Amino acid sequence: MFRMSDALRYWFLVLPALAIMIVFYIWPLLGIWQISLTEPKPGVANYTEMFDSTAVQTSFILTFRIAILTTIGCLILGYIVAYVISNFARRAKPLMVALVLLPFWVSVLIRSFSWIVLLGRSGIVNDTLMATGITDSPMRLMHNEFGVVIAMIHVMLPFAVLPMMANMRGISGAYVDAARGLGAGEWTAFRQVYFPQTMPGVMSGALLVFVLSLGFYITPALLGGGRVLMISEYITYQIQEFLNWGLGSALSVALLVATAVVIAIAARFVNLRSALLERN
Amino acid sequence: MTIFKDTTDHQAKADLIEIAAHKYKEGTLTRRGFLSAMAALGALPMLGSKAMAQAKEIVVVNWGGEASEVLQEVMADTYTKETGIPVVVDGSGPSGGKIRAMVESGAVVWDLCDSGMGTAIILQEQGVIQPINYDIVDRSAVLEQAAYEYAVGNYVYSYVLCSNPKLLGGNAPQTWEDVWNVKDFPGMRTFRKSVRGMLESATMAQGVPMNEVYDVLRTEDGINAGIDKFRQLRENIIVWGSGSASQNLFLQEEVAIGNIWSTRGQLLMEQMDEGAFQMSFDGGVIAPGMWVVPKDNPAGSDEVMKFIRHAQDPQLQVEWLKKIGSGPANPAAAELVPEELKKWNPSSPENLALQIFYDDEWYGMHQVEAEEKYIDALIN
Repeated sequence: MFRMSDALRYWFLVLPALAIMIVFYIWPLLGIWQISLTEPKPGVANYTEMFDSTAVQTSFILTFRIAILTTIGCLILGYIVAYVISNFARRAKPLMVALVLLPFWVSVLIRSFSWIVLLGRSGIVNDTLMATGITDSPMRLMHNEFGVVIAMIHVMLPFAVLPMMANMRGISGAYVDAARGLGAGEWTAFRQVYFPQTMPGVMSGALLVFVLSLGFYITPALLGGGRVLMISEYITYQIQEFLNWGLGSALSVALLVATAVVIAIAARFVNLRSALLERN
Repeated sequence: MTIFKDTTDHQAKADLIEIAAHKYKEGTLTRRGFLSAMAALGALPMLGSKAMAQAKEIVVVNWGGEASEVLQEVMADTYTKETGIPVVVDGSGPSGGKIRAMVESGAVVWDLCDSGMGTAIILQEQGVIQPINYDIVDRSAVLEQAAYEYAVGNYVYSYVLCSNPKLLGGNAPQTWEDVWNVKDFPGMRTFRKSVRGMLESATMAQGVPMNEVYDVLRTEDGINAGIDKFRQLRENIIVWGSGSASQNLFLQEEVAIGNIWSTRGQLLMEQMDEGAFQMSFDGGVIAPGMWVVPKDNPAGSDEVMKFIRHAQDPQLQVEWLKKIGSGPANPAAAELVPEELKKWNPSSPENLALQIFYDDEWYGMHQVEAEEKYIDALIN
């Protein structure tokens, strides 16, 4: 009887996913690379134009700044949530995990619109601040970078919490107990024993949030007031408004390369395999 | 040589659809709406072959949704009633590329298309549209700035100065210079996420007389000076991307002042409290939508020209204004506009005198360059 070798079996299992990737992702992506080099005429004109444009540079810097701020915000808030869920929640644990997951079930669009209701000039936050006399005129909470970062942290938070939680779940309480038994204070035990063990989770959360933030579109488009033009919105603008597929494609290639560079740099400092693949 | 770019403002056209949707809130997806959607999704060739099979039928194409229904009801059905010739409105969006592809493939199914001057100029150069027959179409029944050899105006809309006096302590800006005066008129402003109709206002804000605006903008310095005005004001600018966004910004009191479409202004006038909204055509920019006729259209040249003539009827154009807010292209319609709407008709003689005509030629030559600089000024 014919028996498939293990390698062959492995390939058969991978094949459907691989085929979908090639047909719907890699193939169109190569098309984009091609457009960036051929439209409106063959050559690297799109790339030189891109590097010469100060608007593109500003947009790239802005994109990275927002992604970094979002990542930091998500890590701080997410770490606290993950820590509490993993170490203190007992009966409330399923509920707390559900609350972390809940936003996943609501469209990003709706969540961003909710922030408009909250942060608007006559929104709930401003109304409350004014009613309680804390401020006497509405503050500008959105249509600027501040609003974009707040809403993006909200949208990205689960992506930070989940990997950190998975990581913390695998950390045995015995280490901290041992450190305490050897005379370490609560803070020292956390900082020197517990925290280093959570680094893989923190790193994978950070990478996920950062990379997703780089290409984020809906939230900045809705809450940025048109002046917080992140690179993905800039690409849409080039393609939809100017039908400038060449430059738009070049920009998306640049975004992809920039993201790859970030991951490559991150790989020098953290073990990506353990950060992304292993659950400890 | 500068390549002339297609400058047709598809967003402005699509916006009319949205407005119609608003006006016809109760309207769910009707059969015709469904057909239009199908056509827009690429099922058009099927519909097209059917349309071709029926002789003596006129297929008019615009940008879909409820605007198609209004066009059907106001212009098409009335023509059928008069002549017995069926007129079908197809909302699949007659972009220049589609018209060209259709004519070059020899399978023309469209008789008349709602286009823009920018597209018309390109299509004319490519030789895929017919000249307008002014023996049938009445040249005097359309604004002279919208009567071209190969295209003729079918409606108009304006970019106008709107403000919320309530947010400004009763002190509303009267001119574009006021709009740039942040000291006396504090608060946020909104401008379009495109230079269309915007750069003109920034140029007037420098004190350039209305009729010299495009002369100034034809120079490099003129463009840069206008762009600089936006750079100065940018901390006070929120940008609108769609017509509904501009409307929302006023409704939610996010902005006190804005340069938005008159069609949206008209809606805001109904929606906002007394004294909380003002719209002025002074220093506005008026832009026309244009009819173009593809070469070798199935119904024949004369038939479609007769329909254009029919659609010039001032009474019908007033209906159009009432239902969808876009102004009549026929100056004779101004008198027939009901008193309460007169003030908001972009093409009334009083309002026309206050505005300049959107210069498509300028956009063909300079828009791309200006847009780049505009974004740069807003974010950099």
